[in-house]
Amino acid sequence: MNRSATQASASAVPELRQVEDFLVQEANLLDDRKFEEWMALFDDKGYYWAPARPDQQSPLTEVSLFYDDRELMALRISRLRHERIHAQIPHARTVHLVVNPRIQDFDPQTGHLSVHSKFLITEYRPSVPEGLQRVFAGQYLHTLRKSGDSFKIVLKKVTLVNCDATFESLALYF
Amino acid sequence: MEIVKVNVESSAFEELVREDRVHLSVYEDPAIFKLEMENIFGRAWIYVGHESEVPNRGDFVTTQIGLQPVIVSRHRDGKVYVLHNRCGHRAAIVCNEERGNTGSSFRCGYHGWTFRTNGELLAAPLKNGYPELYDLRSKEFGLVPVRVESYRGFLFANLSASLEEDFDLAIHLGPMKMCIDALCDRAPEGEIEVLGGVQKYMIHANWKTQLENLNDLYHPPYSHESTLRESGKQFARRPGDQQGPQISESDERKSKWDRLGIWAFDHGHSYCGSIQEESDDGESRSSAVVERHKAALLAKHPPERVAEILKERYHNAIFYPNLCIQLMSHHIRVLRPLGVDRTEIRVYPVRLKGAPEEMYHDIVRYLNITHSPASLIQTDDLEMFRRIQEGSHSRGAQWVVFGRGFGQEVPDAGGFKGSGTSEISMRNQYRAWVDYMARGASS
Repeated sequence: MNRSATQASASAVPELRQVEDFLVQEANLLDDRKFEEWMALFDDKGYYWAPARPDQQSPLTEVSLFYDDRELMALRISRLRHERIHAQIPHARTVHLVVNPRIQDFDPQTGHLSVHSKFLITEYRPSVPEGLQRVFAGQYLHTLRKSGDSFKIVLKKVTLVNCDATFESLALYF
Repeated sequence: MEIVKVNVESSAFEELVREDRVHLSVYEDPAIFKLEMENIFGRAWIYVGHESEVPNRGDFVTTQIGLQPVIVSRHRDGKVYVLHNRCGHRAAIVCNEERGNTGSSFRCGYHGWTFRTNGELLAAPLKNGYPELYDLRSKEFGLVPVRVESYRGFLFANLSASLEEDFDLAIHLGPMKMCIDALCDRAPEGEIEVLGGVQKYMIHANWKTQLENLNDLYHPPYSHESTLRESGKQFARRPGDQQGPQISESDERKSKWDRLGIWAFDHGHSYCGSIQEESDDGESRSSAVVERHKAALLAKHPPERVAEILKERYHNAIFYPNLCIQLMSHHIRVLRPLGVDRTEIRVYPVRLKGAPEEMYHDIVRYLNITHSPASLIQTDDLEMFRRIQEGSHSRGAQWVVFGRGFGQEVPDAGGFKGSGTSEISMRNQYRAWVDYMARGASS
C-alpha cells in the first residue's frame, strides 16, 4: 500500500462490524485466561480504568477499583499466574457478553475512536464450603487507535453499574 | 437508657480468653457479637470520620458506631455534631446517603419531621395533634447527639460518654497520639484532607480477624507470596522507592521481620515498625516529587525536624477497635462490623496539605494497588479472613493460639514491645476485649 492509500485508510471511519469483532475478541481473551495476549491489545501507553464512583472525573485525585498502566497490568497478570495467589485458588471462571456497541467519536487526524458498549459478566469461583457466583454489569468506553487492519486500546474504561458498592475480592479484569 | 442485656457473667469472658489464646466462639457466636457491639463499640472511643470530610455547613457523612447508624454533620455554628441517624418519631433513618450537603436541615421521609443539623427538632407537621404531655422540644424527639471529640481533625465519638463532662482526647490517646501527629506533620501545612474517595471491601469474617492482621508481621511472606519477585522483594509501594519492601528471605530460621518491633498499649492499641528499610546512604528513596515535598517542609521547619518528620516511625497503627493509620502509604482504614461473620472495611487516601499535588496523585494510585478490593495485596488477606471464618466452625481444636513471642515482651515507650513476628498485638487486643466485655457484664 502506498503512502497516500495508508493515509486514506487511517482517516476512514471504521466499520462498526470491525469494531464489534475487536471487542468480542478482547472479551474472549479474558474468558480464555489469555491475559498476556489481552494485554498486548493495549497501546504501550494504554490504560485500563475502573472508577469507584459513577461520575468520577479523575483517576488521579480519587481512588479507583483499577487504574492500570502496562507496567501494572504485567505485574497483576504475573500474579494471576502465580501458584500461590490464594484469592484465586481455585481460580474463577468468567463469561463476558459485550452488547450495544456504538462508535461515538472518530478523529481522522489521530485515527482515535471512542466506542461505547455495555457488558454483562458472570463469574464463578469454586470454593469451600461453596462456590461464589457473581454478576457484574456496566458500560465500557474503549478509546481505540487504528493499528494496521486492527486496533490498539488507548483506554478501556469500565464503569460498573454498582462501582461505588462494597466488593469482595476482585481479582480479574472486567 | 435501658439496655437489654444477654445474661453473660463476666467470668465467662475470662474463660474464653486466656493470656495466649482465645476460644473459637469469639469469632462465630452471634450472642458474643451482639455483646461486643454494646460493650466495646458502645463504650470505646470510635473513629467516625475526619473533619475535612464535612468542610461546609450542611455537609454530612453517614457511618455507624457498631451497628448503630449515625450522621457526622457540620452545623451552622461551625461545629461537627455526631447524631443518631434515627427519626425522633418512629425511628426511620432520616439520612439515606453516604455523604452530601443537606442545607440547613435533615428531613424524615416518613412524616416530614425536620431536624437542625445539630440534631434539634425543627418542626413536626400538625404538631397540635400531640397532647400537652409530649414535649417535642425534649432531646429524645430530635436526632440524639453523641459525644464527639476531635484531635487534628480525627473525630472520635463515644456512645456512653456524657455530653458535658470534661474530657481530653489527647490524653486518652496516650502514646498513640504520636501516630496521628506523625501523619499530619508530613503535611507542610500541618493538616490533612480526606476527600479522595474511598476503597470499600467486604470481608466474610468476624471484624477481629482484620484487626489481628494489621500488626501481624508473620504473615506477609506466605499470604502475599504472589506479590514477590524472585529476590523476595515486593513491588515498590511508594513513589521514589527503587524497590519495595523485602518480604521474604532465604534464612528459614530467623525472619528479618523480627528486627522490627511491635509496640502494644493499654485499651488494645498497637503499632508496628516500618516495613520499608531505609538504606544507609540515604539513596533508597529519591524523586523530584519527594525532593519538592522535602523542600516544602524545610520552608516550615528546621532540617533536624524535617528529618524527624520524614522518618518512618511506624507502619500500621491500630486504634482499637476500628481505626488503622498506615504512615508509609498515607491512608486511613476504618473497620465496620456488620454481623458476626461480615465486616466492611473502608480505606481513605490522605492528602497532605501543602505537599506537591503529584505526591497526592501517587498516594491515590498506590492505594488502588494495595487496598482496592481489586488490589494485589488485600485480596489475599480477604481470602484468609474468609477461610478463618469457615475454620472457626471446627471444634477439632477449640482454641486459636497467639503464642508467638509469648512472655518475651519488654516494657518500652509507655507500653510493651515484642519482636516483629510475635503475636503481642493480638494478645494485647484480647486483654482490652476482656476489659470491655467484662465491664459491661458486671455493670
